[in-house]
Amino acid sequence: MNVTTISFAQGTAPVGDTAVFEIFIKATPEQIWGAITDPVLRAKFSFGVQTQSDWATGSSYQASVPGIVAIAEGENLVVEPPHLLVQSFTALWSDEVKAQGTTRVTWEIEQVGDSCRLTVVHDQLPESANAELYGGWPMILSGLKTLLETGEMLTTPGSLMYSQS
Amino acid sequence: MTYWSPIVGGVDAVFKALADPTRRDLLDALFAEDGQTLTALEERVPMTRFGVMKHLKALEEAGLVVTRKRGREKLHFLNPVPIRLIHDRWVSKYAEPWASALTELKTQLEDTP
Repeated sequence: MNVTTISFAQGTAPVGDTAVFEIFIKATPEQIWGAITDPVLRAKFSFGVQTQSDWATGSSYQASVPGIVAIAEGENLVVEPPHLLVQSFTALWSDEVKAQGTTRVTWEIEQVGDSCRLTVVHDQLPESANAELYGGWPMILSGLKTLLETGEMLTTPGSLMYSQS
Repeated sequence: MTYWSPIVGGVDAVFKALADPTRRDLLDALFAEDGQTLTALEERVPMTRFGVMKHLKALEEAGLVVTRKRGREKLHFLNPVPIRLIHDRWVSKYAEPWASALTELKTQLEDTP
């Protein structure tokens, strides 16, 4: 599958329905894939939010702080460990973001030397999308980089807002 | 700790890229409308196509702009992650003690009956 065409498969995507986030992380593709799909590791760089799934193509996933707040849900559309994960994404944390409907999140992991380029493409966004929908990605990716490169968690304000420990 | 090593040009490239007013204008143009072609961006700044290309290259090398292909078009996207890394690297070091003290004060004040 040619991943670069996923976002614009129909060639009709209006400019502005897509947000792209890229980061280089000194880690293996398997380490990055593991951090994205392991609920405990994932929570460490995602505001304390766990993501539960069996990670099979066509299966569902739920992101939440168990018993406290539901954050997002969707379907795993393409699962090709450790390089490509495409998910539908419906935000659930407020009425405003619920009203934005279903969007799509693509994780691409590409090895570059002894590091990886991780690209998150959040597309199929509605017109004038609520910035809350995609505004968290830089902090999540920064936290993932810190976790994999140093073993530590980011503690910048807001980065552990849902953490229960 | 290797916070910086693998972003293409490192932190120096990010600060250098942000130091130029035309490059900041280009980032603002992408912030206003993400995913633009070179031709569209040319209209945003009073500069030749070659000049815009040169500035976009510096922004790409700093990781601040990412390109994706759509058909035959090359679209430019603002990548805010390096700016976040600067925030997490520097703000956490110098500003966080104040920020967390203020957060604590806010919590205390709001909890006071």
